[in-house]
Amino acid sequence: MLTKLMKLATVASLAFATATSAQAQDEGVLGEIKARDSLLCTGHNGSYLGFAEVDAQGEWQGFDIEMCRALATAILGSPDKAQIIPISWAQRFPAIQSGDIDVIIKVTGWTMTRDTELGLQYSRPYFIGPFYVMSRSDLGAQSISDLDGGVFCVNAGTTVERVLADYMETNGIEYQPLAFEKGEELRAALYAGRCDAIAGFGPFLSSTRVNAPNPDDFTIIGDVIKLEPEGIVVRQGEDDFLDVINWMVTALLLAEENGITSENVDEIKANPPSATVERLLGVTPGVGTRLGLQDDWAYNVIKTVGNYGQIYDRTIGDGSRYKLPRGLNNLWNNGGLLYPLVLD
Amino acid sequence: MTTSVVPPVPKRGFGYWLKKHFFSTWLNSVITVLFGALLIWMCVKLSNWAIFDAIWTVDNKEHCGHGAGACWAVIQDRGRLILFGLYPYEEQWRSTLACLIVILTIGLSCLPSLWSIKKLPTLWVIGFGAFVLLMRGGFAGLPLVTSEQWGGLSLTIFIFSAVFVLGMPLAVVFALARRSSLPVIAKGTGLFIDLVRSLPLLTILFAAAVVVPLLVPDWLEGNKLGRVVVAFAVFFAVYQAEIIRAGLQSTSQGQNEAAAALGMPYWSLVVDILLPQAFRNTLPSTINQAVITFKETSIVTIIGFFEVMASGNAAIGGGEWTEQFVEVYVFLALVYFVFVFGLSRYGAWLENRMRVGHA
Repeated sequence: MLTKLMKLATVASLAFATATSAQAQDEGVLGEIKARDSLLCTGHNGSYLGFAEVDAQGEWQGFDIEMCRALATAILGSPDKAQIIPISWAQRFPAIQSGDIDVIIKVTGWTMTRDTELGLQYSRPYFIGPFYVMSRSDLGAQSISDLDGGVFCVNAGTTVERVLADYMETNGIEYQPLAFEKGEELRAALYAGRCDAIAGFGPFLSSTRVNAPNPDDFTIIGDVIKLEPEGIVVRQGEDDFLDVINWMVTALLLAEENGITSENVDEIKANPPSATVERLLGVTPGVGTRLGLQDDWAYNVIKTVGNYGQIYDRTIGDGSRYKLPRGLNNLWNNGGLLYPLVLD
Repeated sequence: MTTSVVPPVPKRGFGYWLKKHFFSTWLNSVITVLFGALLIWMCVKLSNWAIFDAIWTVDNKEHCGHGAGACWAVIQDRGRLILFGLYPYEEQWRSTLACLIVILTIGLSCLPSLWSIKKLPTLWVIGFGAFVLLMRGGFAGLPLVTSEQWGGLSLTIFIFSAVFVLGMPLAVVFALARRSSLPVIAKGTGLFIDLVRSLPLLTILFAAAVVVPLLVPDWLEGNKLGRVVVAFAVFFAVYQAEIIRAGLQSTSQGQNEAAAALGMPYWSLVVDILLPQAFRNTLPSTINQAVITFKETSIVTIIGFFEVMASGNAAIGGGEWTEQFVEVYVFLALVYFVFVFGLSRYGAWLENRMRVGHA
């Protein structure tokens, strides 16, 4: 009962945005997950482009869903142990406090308010949420500065409008904004050639491009105008669980860095090229017990879900219909911002 | 001198009717022609879009959305998602069957021959029991499907009928309690009704889904769908209670006194005399409330239930069919229309039937 009240206090502080830093005392979500033998993870109340969508069979797909599956595999050994709970944007924070879900993996930006006042804790960013510009291919623009003086279509009154204005001002690029009330109007204007370019969140631009009469008429330019680091969210005080999440993300990145994919993981496990890979795949013990998991957890994740690059390609990258460039979500040695932690 | 007046020739026929209603003056003629032309033009456009230029199958998907007609391929491809939500694909026959059972139950309970204190509740217990058992499974080789995975049209119909069936008796209790001669009960109920009515439905459902688990002990928590249905039913009941109260007030006080003089017990007075009149007098408002409730079920999407509207949004939210939102919304509108129109026609039929003998 006491813990219930503590949780309620957290939700109340959330609802009224007071500055109390309530802490959920319910320790050991990791233990609960193991006892339940399923991981309760966030879905969406509908489909959210590329991250959590429902296919024709009613199955969940997408980048965030794959992350849920990877986490379920790490803890419980099978991606099927991830139970996706449909949840709206507004519901995600109360739902994690009330225990409806164990973890939020739902393109959730790491902000100070959420981190401090809501009694939540973030993992290291697993995705860098990019705002891009997409232009008409026939303009041949390589960067946003090539579009100097062009007509930029934006959604009226959105973050994108402001973010674009900031970027253009900072970089001294002249442009002519053309605002539309609705996404549909914006798309129609773009397809009709009224805009030289549009700005927006990566997956939105990609789906706009893919649904164009001729997708090749439009190109997403690599310049990021603004980014939002997205983290995986747990309740405050779930340190063990957070460790598992951070090392799960590292395992995905480390696998990509070392060229380990779901196809070749067995070969590499038989002939590990380096001590790090030996540790990662559980050839030398230790990677599991220190987290309270099986020693082959990382092997299972890579075998069933794949490495970071594979997940990205399959859900929002080249292998998907969105064809979102890797950009900042590439590894550090490929011009991106992502890097694995040191596995020693 | 007498003049003989020719008796007026009774004017009949289509031509006369047309002239009388549409071409009686030159102005009316102009208006008729103009609007007739507009109507025909719109019908042609609409049927071209919806039928003749439409793309019906997924095989022709590449022609979709390029200024041609409607792309009904999206319904072919995502229809099952819209109708069944997240319900496991192989088990969707269960959802269909469960949905039909509830529709049958609703249909049967519309038959006046089944209206009795014993028959109606029995019918609903059987109907709902069958629905829940089929949807949930977990016995006789049917895999367990938890209520988080229920969705689509079956969920919409389940929520609506559960709210109606739970809410209606509750509304009667509230209405009677508010008219109670005991001031504590009357004032208390009045306060409760006004309190609930002053809160938005969304807040109540959100609280039921998210806040209640924090307040009550685990054994009382129940499942989320159950909590939401109960909260929704209470919300429905407070509105319906006021409608029933209006009906009760429309019966004359003399009937109460006559019943009392005859020594009828209170229960009999309510069941045999007051409620039948109250329901008959307030039928239009009750149907109104039912229609509103049916459409309001789509609010549960905000607490993560995949009812038919949310499933429709899921179908177009995936990138592949983003441009076909109009087709999906038209389809959803048709689904809602079938049910709401059916409900309205049933109300009209009932009103007609009840008026027999009550001029």
